[in-house]
Amino acid sequence: MIELALFFSVLIGIYAIMALALNLQYGYAGLLNFGLVAFFAIGAYASALLSLSGVPVLIAMAIAAVISAVVGALIAIPTMKLSVHYWAIVTISIAELIRVISTNEEWLTGGTFGLGDIPQPLATLVPLESYPLFFAGFTLVLVVACYLFSSALVHSPYGRVLKVIREDEDFGQSLGKDVASFKLRTMVVGAAMVGLAGALYTHFTTYITPQAFEPIVTFIIWAAVILGGKGNLLGSLLGATVIVLLYNSTRFIGDYVELSAVTLANIRLALIGLLIMLTVLLRPNGILPERKQVF
Amino acid sequence: MLEQVLLNSVIRGSEIASLAIGVTILFSLLRFANFAHGEFALLGAYFTYFFVSVLEINLWVAAVLGAVLGGAVALSSDVALFSRLRSSPGVVLLIASLGLSIFLRAVVAGIWGVEGHTYSDELETIYRIGEAVITHTQVIIVIVSFTAMALFYLLLNHTQLGRAMRAMSDNMALAKARGINIEVTIRWIWFIVGSYAALGGTLIAMDTQLWPEMGVHIILVVFAATILGGIGNVYGAVIGSFLIAFLENASLAIDWAFLFAPFGVEGSVYIPTGYKFAVSFAVLIIVMLLFPKGIMKGSKGD
Repeated sequence: MIELALFFSVLIGIYAIMALALNLQYGYAGLLNFGLVAFFAIGAYASALLSLSGVPVLIAMAIAAVISAVVGALIAIPTMKLSVHYWAIVTISIAELIRVISTNEEWLTGGTFGLGDIPQPLATLVPLESYPLFFAGFTLVLVVACYLFSSALVHSPYGRVLKVIREDEDFGQSLGKDVASFKLRTMVVGAAMVGLAGALYTHFTTYITPQAFEPIVTFIIWAAVILGGKGNLLGSLLGATVIVLLYNSTRFIGDYVELSAVTLANIRLALIGLLIMLTVLLRPNGILPERKQVF
Repeated sequence: MLEQVLLNSVIRGSEIASLAIGVTILFSLLRFANFAHGEFALLGAYFTYFFVSVLEINLWVAAVLGAVLGGAVALSSDVALFSRLRSSPGVVLLIASLGLSIFLRAVVAGIWGVEGHTYSDELETIYRIGEAVITHTQVIIVIVSFTAMALFYLLLNHTQLGRAMRAMSDNMALAKARGINIEVTIRWIWFIVGSYAALGGTLIAMDTQLWPEMGVHIILVVFAATILGGIGNVYGAVIGSFLIAFLENASLAIDWAFLFAPFGVEGSVYIPTGYKFAVSFAVLIIVMLLFPKGIMKGSKGD
């Protein structure tokens, strides 16, 4: 039971970091990143490959976040001028392209068999029986760090400019703000956080395949951010918790009702889709709406 | 070689166009890229499959019934979801359509399973045109799709509804002022574009097979065709569909050795089969970067 609770707390932590990142991008900067899973994949593969080649795990994770940020910049620079809808379509295509590459380039990623035996952080220092507890604590530290960082960011003058751009790009431009540069930087910061989440996932499961990086991961995080409330960072933490528990709850339905694994997987997906539609219809601002700041 | 590429492009283009027509109209009228359009196609294909395999109805009757039901699903999605978001920004509609797309796909996969199906496993008659090969089914796909497009042309230019659609696409406020019943017209549009997508889904499934991911695989290509043709431009969407289909097929047939020769790579360089399905994504990204406003004039450039 405790093991299960620790397992879910790590999973929630990984999704919470990604939800914070998407909230920065969508909730504050208005960026429709539909290719979020690409950075999750890049962080995961980068950290796995680096640590497998002998780089200490914590350093591998940091480098993975940096690589993910660089890819974020490379994607954002040529596409930043596109309108929001087009950008959503381009980012989802890039994410699919990256998944196809991870499936095909066996020399690098192990193809569909994936990469295994990935080392875990500080595995030699922590006793085996308390390692799950240590990993959950490690995840918590990263989530808190990402939250404090995001919070500081959105309350800084930079964050206020982001909100102006989100509400009215032309107005931001007229204030002399370089709109494209602000969006680009937000994209890079978010990509780094999602890359870190990917690295965390890699060292948590110690085994990754391209199947873990299907578009549905992006959509689950979208559901978390919309449900939690866009423009509210606490909402993202809450949203990630609710969505991860809901998404995995069908695993337990299986104990009571005779249903095939495929049916259960589809019930899970249908729930996510339904939740997105219902939130948009009934609580468009999410459970925790953005607080209007008075100056 | 060129003949086969052209022939394959016409087949693939016919399939894409039946969805692109609807996506471009919805985008210009309701201001959002409808991610659920691929799932209307998916549902249409599976409805047809249901009529053919369970009720043992003739495939063509089944395809028409499938199209009608697909239109009914699109209409219901407007009643239940999209009509309640008329005053919301396009981004909200886009996200709602994403939720609908995930939901519908999961329902289809839950009912019919994730494995592939076909309408019939009879051997195909094959025709040869010069060097190129085309199956009997593919000939029919092209004929049906072109007939559907001709009907759409007549609808757009020679009916009251078509005039209302064009007026709304040009200038919503003016159309309203002229006494066009906006809501009724929008409902008709949902039904029509839904049934076109459903018919397209049946055609795609006839050419390849039915499986729950087919909607996801076609929708990004459809978006690319729509954007290339200029948002809101129905003829542009059709032309865009054939262009995208040609780019896909040509890039698979081209020997890319000339690109790699300067780096000392010898011999032929073709796109590996594992990447075949990624070609449309690459084409989409390139089209978006090079022609963000499309090659033809849209009703409203985005």
